[in-house]
Amino acid sequence: MSRTSILNAVKKNKPELLPLPEINLNVFSEDIDLVKTFIENVQFVGGRAILLDSIKDIDAEIKNLYPHAVKMVSCIKESSLGSISISKNTEPHELETIDLAIVKGELAVAENGAVWIAENNFTIRVLPFITNDLVLVVNKEDIHLHMHSAYESISKRDRTFGLFISGPSKTADIEQCLVIGAQGAISLTVFII
Amino acid sequence: MAHADEAAIFNKDEEKVDWHDKALWFVRQKRDKSAHNVKGWETLRNLASAIKANVMSNLDNYLIQFEENAQKNGITVHWAVDADEHNKIVHSILQQTNVKKVVKSKSMLTEECHLNPYLEAHGIEVVDTDLGERIVQLAKEPPSHIVLPAIHKTKEEVDVLFQKHLGTKPSHGDPQYLTNEARKHLRDKFLKADAAITGVNFAIANTGGIVVCTNEGNADMGAHLAKVHIACMGMEKLIPEEKHLGIFLRLLARSATGQPITTYSSHFNKPASGTEMHIIIVDNGRTEQLSREDFRASLHCIRCGACMNTCPIYRRSGGHSYKATIPGPIGSILSPGKDLTKHSDLPFASTLCGSCSDVCPVKINIHEQLYKWRQIITKNVPQPVVKKTILKMAGRVLANTKLYDFAGKSARFMLKYAPRWVVYSKLNTWGKARDLPEIKDGNFDQWYKKRQRHE
Amino acid sequence: MKVGLFIPCYINQLYPQVGIATLELLEKLGLNVDYPMGQTCCGQPLGNSGYENDSKGICSLFVENFKAYDYIVGPSGSCVYHVKKHFDILEQTEDVKRVRKNTYELCQFIHDVLGKTDLGASFPYKVGIHKSCHGLRGLRLGSCSERMDAHYSTEEDLLKNVKGLELKTLKRVDECCGFGGTFSVFEEAISVKMGNDRIRDHIDSDVEVITGADHSCLMHLEGLINRNKQPLRVMHIAEILNSSM
Repeated sequence: MSRTSILNAVKKNKPELLPLPEINLNVFSEDIDLVKTFIENVQFVGGRAILLDSIKDIDAEIKNLYPHAVKMVSCIKESSLGSISISKNTEPHELETIDLAIVKGELAVAENGAVWIAENNFTIRVLPFITNDLVLVVNKEDIHLHMHSAYESISKRDRTFGLFISGPSKTADIEQCLVIGAQGAISLTVFII
Repeated sequence: MAHADEAAIFNKDEEKVDWHDKALWFVRQKRDKSAHNVKGWETLRNLASAIKANVMSNLDNYLIQFEENAQKNGITVHWAVDADEHNKIVHSILQQTNVKKVVKSKSMLTEECHLNPYLEAHGIEVVDTDLGERIVQLAKEPPSHIVLPAIHKTKEEVDVLFQKHLGTKPSHGDPQYLTNEARKHLRDKFLKADAAITGVNFAIANTGGIVVCTNEGNADMGAHLAKVHIACMGMEKLIPEEKHLGIFLRLLARSATGQPITTYSSHFNKPASGTEMHIIIVDNGRTEQLSREDFRASLHCIRCGACMNTCPIYRRSGGHSYKATIPGPIGSILSPGKDLTKHSDLPFASTLCGSCSDVCPVKINIHEQLYKWRQIITKNVPQPVVKKTILKMAGRVLANTKLYDFAGKSARFMLKYAPRWVVYSKLNTWGKARDLPEIKDGNFDQWYKKRQRHE
Repeated sequence: MKVGLFIPCYINQLYPQVGIATLELLEKLGLNVDYPMGQTCCGQPLGNSGYENDSKGICSLFVENFKAYDYIVGPSGSCVYHVKKHFDILEQTEDVKRVRKNTYELCQFIHDVLGKTDLGASFPYKVGIHKSCHGLRGLRLGSCSERMDAHYSTEEDLLKNVKGLELKTLKRVDECCGFGGTFSVFEEAISVKMGNDRIRDHIDSDVEVITGADHSCLMHLEGLINRNKQPLRVMHIAEILNSSM
């Protein structure tokens, strides 16, 4: 009932059809070093981005950066640090005590330091949020200049749940003082391979 | 009490006004810096504005398309004509799923609908999980800003509040400590919640998905732990295609806080297995606003709050002085559409400086709409007799050369020769803190005539 | 080129020296300037207060007074903006359209129409510009801090060529002064606070003279300066551009 009355009201009250604008992406193109810009922006948003020569180095790097992490979930086959295995049937609440999660990022965005991760990369939706520390891994060639290009790249995906993550969880709700580590992961490291 | 009276009270503590002004100006500066880094910023604004204009002109079809796609993905879609129906729908979903504890992330729509008191009256615990929202919830206050809900509170005030409600130790307002304590407190709430309510930043017609943006991760912590996710959206949140997010997400956080993007931009397209997802599409006066040609662009708003941060009046009067769910410039063009009499003071709480329109990422002509509301209000809401009389009289005098000449001369004569205590009487609001201009011997007309005679 | 001088009502009554400077300046630039007697006001005080409908007579009188001129030039950004923007309440006759199109703020007229920036003035003082909102964001006399366009400023271009004048930079380059017409009375507390904050910025920037292209803002600031006996003064930009000290 409400549906019909709302739609009828819209039909009656809306203006004449206005066209969607043409989007000319050339306006936004820039010849910049994508890796460098991405690394700078991850730092700007409170995270850390590290360029690695090979994916093989990742475990040593993680051990070095997170010496106290014990309960780890690895969602990439190249890491053997995972001490907890998860599956589609894992109860999300059980992940509450996870120290660190390693997730494959499908792409990254230079302009804002964001990494796109999709549900099939981390199986349990709450994982990248509930884990204490989060490690993302992206390929150097998957870094896009801007969001327009990123959306083009994910346009054909299977849509369930996915997100852009830019830096660790943060808040400035107490007198505009930036505090890293609000309700989600308190640190974020991105490895660029 | 009208905005001017509230503002006068707020201005009694000048130190606090300066503090509030600087805090928000700092956010505005961060926004400027961030926007400067984007090549084609003004193009982005033009595109965003044009896309939203297209949305409004085709809203019914986009809504149908959105619903169809969302349903295909297993999301239940509800429609609410007003706040009351919205609240009832939320409550009935919670009843059906036997929910007692709810966590809620930021949603101005649920503020507008006064959802919390409604659910609490029905025995349901609602915890706001955005830190700023939690602070004002504990303080039993409404948010004073749509992005920075507790911007009016000092860290010392938060300290005292947390001691009382969360049992924290006195910390002289240490933000790190207080945030950590809030994290622990909220973590417990997330783990025990049966349902999560979130707002919607964008709803995408061609995919049926929604996007929710947070910095804290609180919307996701709630939505992915609870069995039921209810997303409440104003019907104007729609955008046609997913690729348009590229434009809006580039603008939103930069305009709001100066971040290049929010920490989390979560795209919900399907419920996780074993969970339910509901979307409630709410009208609550929006279709009416859509009918008003001069004001329909106010529905383009993406709730970034930049107009508040830039508004010299908002910064110096605080969000609560507006007595509206959405304060500041954008609120002052939205609120009169809901209740003209109640909010008739708001379009006048502006100098029409236009900074809001220039800062707006979707180019809403806010200050022009404020001007338009003023014309409507003086016709429909009783005005102060003195103001009305003076202005109506001015309309006649200034349209008549002779009357004007006489009035100008007598006013100048009065100001020049009347004793100071008469000129600066209580009736002269201008003269409370300001001197009047020194009156010269003649006006320009007289000088010009004299000069012509001598030529 | 027939130029009609538009002297806004408050300048006519309270600041004749601004009108005189404007006229002298335009004449110095070799123009034949006419001051149509019988002009009153542009209607802005009514429009901004919500009584636009009661101002139609004023607007019509304005058009009547100025319809015969090629250009209408006035030393007040907000009044000019009102003519250009809000005379849409009149029936759009050829006269109305022409008057709206050809009305210019003084600096804009000198800078954009005459194409001049060096007017041979000298003024050996430290000056801060108050960029009045209607001139700035309405008439676009300069780039606005909110927008990401290239920087430009009509007033700066003109003042930079004044001999001896030292232009000071403010912390907040284009914040509103809080005048806002009847706002200054009906929202007195904030209006005063905004004005005081602007003056503080000028004082902190070592300014001796605050200038601008809109004397209504300057009147508000002057009222505060005089009441608080602060060590600076206000002058309309026409007075500076017309000075030869």
